[in-house]
Amino acid sequence: MSDNATSARAGISSPEASLTLRVRFSEWIDRHSRQLFITPAVVMILIFSIFPLVASLIIAFSRIRLRGGGYSVRFVGFDNFSKQIFGSEQFHFLGTFAPISALGWVFGLGVLGLVLFWLFKYATAKFTVLGFLGRVITASMAVGLAFMFAATLLSGKPFGTLGTTLFYVFVGCGIQFLIGLGLAFLCSQPIRGRNFFRVVFFIPMMITPIGVGYAFRMMADTTKGPFSPLWKWVGWGDFTWATDPWAARIFIVVADSWQWIPFIFIVLLAALENVPRDFVEAAQVDGASSREIFFDITWPQIVPVAATVMLIRVIEAFKIVDLPNIMTSGGPGIATESMSLHSLFAWRSLDLGQSSAVAYLLLFVTVVTCVSFFNLIVVGRMRANG
Amino acid sequence: MAERTLMERLFEPAQIGHMPVGTKIVVYSLLLFWTAFVLFPIYWVFITSFKSAVDVNSGPVYLPFIDFKPSLHAWKELFVFDWEDTLKAYTNSIIISLFATALSVLIGSMAAYALARIEYAPKFGSILIFVLSMIAAFVGVGVYGVDWRLACAVAVAVFFFLIKALGRFYAARLGNGDILFWMISQRILAPVVVVVPIYMMFQSVGLLDTHLAIILTYAVVNLPIVIWLMYDFFKSIPIELEESAQLDGATRLLTFFDIVLPLSKAGLAATTLLVMILAWNEYLLALFLSTSKAQTMPILVAAMNAGERGILWWNMSVVIVVMIIPVVVMAIILQRFIAKGMLLGAVKG
Amino acid sequence: MTVVLNQITKSFGAAKVLHELDLEVHEGEFLVLLGASGSGKSTALRMIAGLESVTGGSISIDGRDVTNELPKNRNVAMVFQSYALYPHKTVGENIGYPLKIARLGKSEIEDQVRDVADQVQLTDYLDRYPRQLSGGQRQRVALARAMVRRPAVFLMDEPLSNLDAKLRGHMRAELKHMQQQLGITTIYVTHDQVEAMTLAHRVALLEMGKLQQLASPKSIYDDPETLFVAQFIGSPPMNVAKGSLDGGVFALGDDRIGTGKSLSSPDAVLGLRAEDCRVVEAGAGKIRAKLYANELIGDHTLVTAETASGMFSIKAEKEFDAPMNAAIGIDFDPEKLYLFDGSSGARMR
Ligand SMILES: Nc1ncnc2c1ncn2[C@@H]1O[C@H](COP(=O)(O)OP(=O)(O)OP(=O)(O)O)[C@@H](O)[C@H]1O
Ligand SMILES: [Mg+2]
Repeated sequence: MSDNATSARAGISSPEASLTLRVRFSEWIDRHSRQLFITPAVVMILIFSIFPLVASLIIAFSRIRLRGGGYSVRFVGFDNFSKQIFGSEQFHFLGTFAPISALGWVFGLGVLGLVLFWLFKYATAKFTVLGFLGRVITASMAVGLAFMFAATLLSGKPFGTLGTTLFYVFVGCGIQFLIGLGLAFLCSQPIRGRNFFRVVFFIPMMITPIGVGYAFRMMADTTKGPFSPLWKWVGWGDFTWATDPWAARIFIVVADSWQWIPFIFIVLLAALENVPRDFVEAAQVDGASSREIFFDITWPQIVPVAATVMLIRVIEAFKIVDLPNIMTSGGPGIATESMSLHSLFAWRSLDLGQSSAVAYLLLFVTVVTCVSFFNLIVVGRMRANG
Repeated sequence: MAERTLMERLFEPAQIGHMPVGTKIVVYSLLLFWTAFVLFPIYWVFITSFKSAVDVNSGPVYLPFIDFKPSLHAWKELFVFDWEDTLKAYTNSIIISLFATALSVLIGSMAAYALARIEYAPKFGSILIFVLSMIAAFVGVGVYGVDWRLACAVAVAVFFFLIKALGRFYAARLGNGDILFWMISQRILAPVVVVVPIYMMFQSVGLLDTHLAIILTYAVVNLPIVIWLMYDFFKSIPIELEESAQLDGATRLLTFFDIVLPLSKAGLAATTLLVMILAWNEYLLALFLSTSKAQTMPILVAAMNAGERGILWWNMSVVIVVMIIPVVVMAIILQRFIAKGMLLGAVKG
Repeated sequence: MTVVLNQITKSFGAAKVLHELDLEVHEGEFLVLLGASGSGKSTALRMIAGLESVTGGSISIDGRDVTNELPKNRNVAMVFQSYALYPHKTVGENIGYPLKIARLGKSEIEDQVRDVADQVQLTDYLDRYPRQLSGGQRQRVALARAMVRRPAVFLMDEPLSNLDAKLRGHMRAELKHMQQQLGITTIYVTHDQVEAMTLAHRVALLEMGKLQQLASPKSIYDDPETLFVAQFIGSPPMNVAKGSLDGGVFALGDDRIGTGKSLSSPDAVLGLRAEDCRVVEAGAGKIRAKLYANELIGDHTLVTAETASGMFSIKAEKEFDAPMNAAIGIDFDPEKLYLFDGSSGARMR
């Protein structure tokens, strides 16, 4: 087909369009461009993402020994996982369990009740098997986590890396969203120097997390850091935050926020600036206050962007590893150790099975959280907005 | 007109669109506070790089020339005594982030373009068969110690055989949206989930601690971002431009490079910058994949901590400053693009 | 070159948008595809260009079956409604793009571009970018880019609809002149009947993907085959009245109108063009009516009158004036009236 087609192009007198090697080659490329465009990406993802994912799963179900130059692999079933959840590593992953205190029971049963009510409402309203199944998974994870916190934090014992990771994700992302939105809103006002603020606020995102970690270690130093006179003045001169679990966790959240608020800020700012001026002006003419304008007009317009940006932020937040590694090495004890760091430490001690098991548990929690977030909040919102 | 109270005068606009004085004060103080919060740690790192050990250890000093006498000793140490290590890490970082970014942006935007413009409909059954035969191969290699080359060959053969044999019996197909979601969702994988097998893979082909290994890994890790951002850019280009080129006789490849890419400059700039920053700052994967030859800057920074004398903050600060200067300069120049680029992606989700 | 569509159908999923379309375009002809929005004009044109796949039937250009050819192998040029000029290329590069793809020499391209630019009076603008041109100039660039290839067929999809009314009139004349000079077969899509009437050698009227009539502008106006065609063409649209026909006498309310034909039908439609009607004294004329509105258009007054079966528009002298609600009569030459079957819409002769 290509032969007579090329020569049939009358009008344009293409010199010797007939079957030179080059023409044939470009015709071939053109005919296979469908595959050509997408294959590299697919192959790369298969090799560097899917294959490792499957291999990791196999490792998570095995005990691996390094022998000479090679490995020996023994299949051990769920051993690695059960060790994390029920066995000798439970304190590390879930936390040190104590008999659940009264407060713990109230909290755990409260969450259970809420979740059951929510499921019941869904089941009686618009029931689909898949939707229900998804909600059951979300609900069981929520209840499981609630009881985990009930048996550890609320009963006076420390929680493990799972709890720490969730702390980073939910508290950290929550703070970051509020501040990011606030800054974006301020910067979207008609003020002078907007560009200056925009550029300055964006800078932390550029800085390597390692650098952020060390910079904040300096900041937080109560004896030699820049704020040490202040600490002395309030009487905390000899307080070392690195030995207090909550102070350490909060400090990591502060550093993480410093680094990531710019991302939320810059996207929300762009979204705010994209809200058509006429809407706002029409409302101003109608005499709406700025608060009403924000909640009735601006906010609904940026919700989709906000949801997406938070989804991305949550996904990245689950991976947190650099900051705790640099700032505290996971200490004091395991108080600031995230699941990624937990997995990294397991790998350092050459326990590959445990390392992969923790990584998979992280993946599971991330996926359930993100899918729930997406399906329940983003999609729900979209439906509500028509 | 009635007398306005002080509060009213402070917080009610004189005119629509004008900001009352009181609000203005609040807004500016908040913004300036945040500016200080953002800049102070950077400033501190910067001046620390000019401090001597005494300046650091004897409590905080804040202002160069006034509080303390800046010295270049830390800079000297890094650039004179440790010149080779620094230079090596720096060039490694540059090479790796440049090539990884280029590769990622090229492959990612080609895939994004394909998904935006060409219809794909892979059969669901074929994918299932593919996955199953690959898993069988892995189990064969991992558990039973079959040679991996043999296992792969057998798996591919089995795959094609089954497709031919069973192809007629299933019809369910996936669409572009599913492929797009599959590719973007790879971003959810934390590096720790995949890095151990990647490590083993590179070890078995002898590529550990080489540029190539890190470049390939970085490229794939950032592929979802490229695809996600560029997909919406390509979607927003009027399709008539490409159709017109097609009618004029341009091939798809030519259309892509001659028409589509030049029109997505803003998106490309944002994506490139973002990926470059991520690659430049990446730590965990580099920690696994490089031991000495291919060490990048973040590893060098982290390694500053290893001495017995505790952390040498002044040296550490120098390395951090050296690391952040290029990205910050680049980002300040290009930050407008970033916002635009990310917004496009984010709006569509 | 001729273009022949043979029983062309097109479906998007379950929706059938073109129904067994037969069309033969003669050598050098200017054929206009006219139809309301969504009638499938663009789809048909894009199928000829090869931008849309063919569901059924075949297309041949110059005797060669091109149903499954790629667009670039059909030797057609297309002018898009949005012009589809490449924003990152200058006017000269835009016009020369098809030649560049055909790998012509630099000087040859330059000569031909200059030639064509001369014809459309763009010589002074060759170094500008499309965004620096006015709408009319952009339109001419698009035209020049199509002309430079000397294609077998010109395809134009509402090329004038983005221009203001005055410029549209001007460009219409230009287009007609150009097409006559070049003698290239042209298929032109529009929803504007004035464009269709003034430009076309023949008009093909499409409705809901079905060809209603294919005829010269004059005969499609004077001799519509269906009620739809009659009402679509002409401004104001043809007056129609429902009634019954008994032995050649049309019953419109209490009026009995002799048609001069011996036809009978319980359900018939009478059609009359506004310019064929005359306003007369009440009681005189063939139809009784009540004056509803007068509009002075310029060279005439458009009178709207309420009859027993809906409104009638009548072109009267510009001096015509009468009070609202005055009783009037409408008179006309029975030769000039059209009769249609009430249920099928087919013309009754
Ligand atoms: N890609 C598509 N997928 C599904 N339906 C389509 C597609 N393209 C066109 N259609 C439908 O086909 C019908 C004809 O569309 P087409 O664009 O040909 O109309 P048109 O006559 O050119 O209208 P207009 O004057 O508005 O341009 C419409 O009902 C449209 O909704
Ligand atoms: Mg159209």
